[in-house]
Amino acid sequence: MKFAVKAWSNGKARTGFLQLGNCPAAIDTPALLLSTRKGLPHFISPDLLPSLPSPDSHLLQFSPLHFLEGPSSKTISNIGGLQHLLGLHEYGFAAVARDSVQSLPECDATNKFGASFETTCGRRLIRPVEYIEMISSMKPDIWASLADEVPSWVSDKRNKTSVDRTVKWLDECIALNSTGGAVFGAIVGGNDLEERQRCAVEVVKRNVSGYWIGGFGFGESMDERPSLLDAVTDVLPEEMPRMICGLGLPGIVFQSFGVEVV
Amino acid sequence: MALRFEILGRFNRARAAQLTLPHFTCQTPLFMPVGTQGTIKGLTTQQLEEIGCQIILGNTYHLALRPTSELIDELGGLHKFMNWPRAMLTDSGGFQMVSLLHLADITEKGVTFQSPVDGKPMLLTPEESIQIQNRIGADIIMALDDVVKTTITGPRIEEAMYRTLRWIDRCIAAHKRPHEQNLFGIVQGGLDPVLRDICVRGLVDRNLPGYAIGGLAGGEDKDSFWRVVAQCTASLPEDKPRYVMGVGYPLDIVVCSALGADMYDCVYPTRTARFGTALIPEGVLKLKHQAMADDTRPIDPTCDCMVCRNYSRAYIHCLVTKDAMGSQLLSFHNLYYMMKLSRDLHSSIVRGQFPEFVRKFLLRMFPHGDVPQWVCNAMEVAGIDISSCCAPMSSPLTSEICEVGFTKLSEIE
Ligand SMILES: [Zn+2]
Repeated sequence: MKFAVKAWSNGKARTGFLQLGNCPAAIDTPALLLSTRKGLPHFISPDLLPSLPSPDSHLLQFSPLHFLEGPSSKTISNIGGLQHLLGLHEYGFAAVARDSVQSLPECDATNKFGASFETTCGRRLIRPVEYIEMISSMKPDIWASLADEVPSWVSDKRNKTSVDRTVKWLDECIALNSTGGAVFGAIVGGNDLEERQRCAVEVVKRNVSGYWIGGFGFGESMDERPSLLDAVTDVLPEEMPRMICGLGLPGIVFQSFGVEVV
Repeated sequence: MALRFEILGRFNRARAAQLTLPHFTCQTPLFMPVGTQGTIKGLTTQQLEEIGCQIILGNTYHLALRPTSELIDELGGLHKFMNWPRAMLTDSGGFQMVSLLHLADITEKGVTFQSPVDGKPMLLTPEESIQIQNRIGADIIMALDDVVKTTITGPRIEEAMYRTLRWIDRCIAAHKRPHEQNLFGIVQGGLDPVLRDICVRGLVDRNLPGYAIGGLAGGEDKDSFWRVVAQCTASLPEDKPRYVMGVGYPLDIVVCSALGADMYDCVYPTRTARFGTALIPEGVLKLKHQAMADDTRPIDPTCDCMVCRNYSRAYIHCLVTKDAMGSQLLSFHNLYYMMKLSRDLHSSIVRGQFPEFVRKFLLRMFPHGDVPQWVCNAMEVAGIDISSCCAPMSSPLTSEICEVGFTKLSEIE
C-alpha cells in the first residue's frame, strides 16, 4: 500500500491518493468504502460493479466475521484469499471486524482475552489469534486491528479498559501477523477526549501503516464528534492514511475532516 | 398478425426457426423466463440481455393489480416501464386466478374471483383480459382459456375445452392491436386425444399467429405429457410458432423440441435457485448440501457464465438461502444455463446435428444409461435414435447416484 497527501485545505482536511497492490488505479482520497455482506456489495452482483464510478468504488470493506459460518479459513486460503473467492481481482479490500448490521460489538461480553460480537451465528468471542488466522486466509489489502469498542454510556473505568485492551491486542496482532496486508492500528476511547488521545499516542508508537478510528456510532452525540476527531487527528502523523467507520449518513461524513477513508 | 416465423432447419419433427416479433427477432427453440411483476428477481434487464434472453413473460394478473395496466399504458407500455427492449409475452391472467385464488369460479361470462385488494367479487372476461393485455403492450398476448387441473377427468374437461373455443372468438373480437400484438390461442382438452384434436382444429380454423399447448405441467404422468405435446405439434400448422406453457425442466424442453415445439416458459430455474439448487448438465446441484462447504470447484466447470467463472461452490454454499446474493447468483447461472440450452437446441438443428446433441445431453444427465422410459418412448416418435444412451435393461446398478449432492432431474419432479 502506498499513500500520499496531495493538498491541504486551510483547516485540517486534505486530499491524497491510495495505491493498493491489487487495484490497478490509484484511489483518490477522501474515499468512501463500499460496505459488503460476505464480501459483495449488497444486491450488486460483480458483473454490475464496473457500472459504478471507477476507481472510486474499488475499495470494499468487509467483516471477516461474516465468514464464521463458512467457508473455512483453510478453504478461503486454498482459493487464494478473498479477492479470488469473490472474483474481484481489481478491487481493494479493507477488513474491519465490526460492521453496522451483522457483526456488532457486544462490549459486556468482551473480556481480556478477546472482543465479543453479535453475529449471524450468535455471540462469538474473537481473540487476536483467531482474528489474525482469518486475516491471513483472506489476505485483505488493509486490515484494522482488533478493537474493544464500547458505547458512549459505559463507565470511565470500562472506557479506559477498552483503550488498554485495544492497544494490547494491536501488539498481539502485529506479533502474530504473517500477511503482506497493511495494518491499521485501531484507535478507541469513546467520548473521552483524554482517553482518545492516550489511545492515539500509544498506537502511533507502533509499527502500523495507517490508523483506524473506531468507537463511533455507539451513542455519542453528533456535537461531540468534531472535538473527539480533532483530539485524535492532532496526534496522528500527517503522512499516514486514516480510516473511520460507523458514522452513518453521508451528511455526517463531512464532519470528519482530516480522515481519508470513510 | 405481427410476427414472421421462418424455419431455418429441421430434424424430423424438430425445427429451428427465426421468429420476428415487433420488439425482437428471436431464435427458436427458446425459453422465456417469468418476470412476474415486470422484473426477474435478482437480475437487471441489462444482465438478461447479456445472457441472451429473448422474450420475458409478464403475469397479467399481477401487473393488473399493481401497478395496473392503465398506469403501464400511461407510462408507454411494459417495455418502457421495465426498460426491456426485447420481446415480451403476457399471459391471460386466468391461470393465476385459478391457481392462486381458491375462490375463483368459472362461468360462461368469465372467471369470477375475490379481489385480493378489497375482497370484492371481480369478473375477468375474455374481453377484459385482452383489453388489459392491449394496454400492457407485449409482443405476444394469450387468449383467456378455461383452465382445469390436468389430473381432473370427466365432463369438466370437455366443458372447458369447448368454452375455450367459444372464448377465443370473444378474444379475437376484443383484440384492438392485431398489427402490433400477436394473439395466441391455447389448446385445451386434458389428456383426451379426441378433445385435444377438436380443440386444435377449432383454433387452427381461426388462423391465429401462434398456438400454445395448455393444461400441461400440472402433475400428469410424463408419458401422458409428451403424448399430448406430440399429438398437438403433429396437427398444428408448420408455419406458426408452438408454445408449450409452463414447461421448464431442461429434459422436458429437449423432448418437446424433438417433438416440434418452439417456445417454453417456467418459473423453475429461478424458483429452484431461491432454494439453493443449480441446474447443471448432470441434473441439479444442491448448493445447500454440506459437501459443498469446502468444494473449491465452480458450480459447473463447463459453464462460461459470470458466476461459474468467478465463484466456488464453497462461496455459493455460504450464501444460499441466507443472503439475497445467493439466489441472485444462482438465478443468473440457472437462466444462463436455460439460454445456453435454447441456443444449443437451435444451432444443433440448424447444423443438422440434432440427434448428436440429444444423445450427448442424455449421456451427461444419465451416465449410467438409465434414461427414463417416457423419454425413450418420446424419442422413438421423434425419430431420434438414442439406443446408445440406454443401458441394457438387466443392469441393476444404473439408477444409483454416484456423487454427493447430485440428484437426477427426474427424481425431483
Ligand atoms: Zn454458470
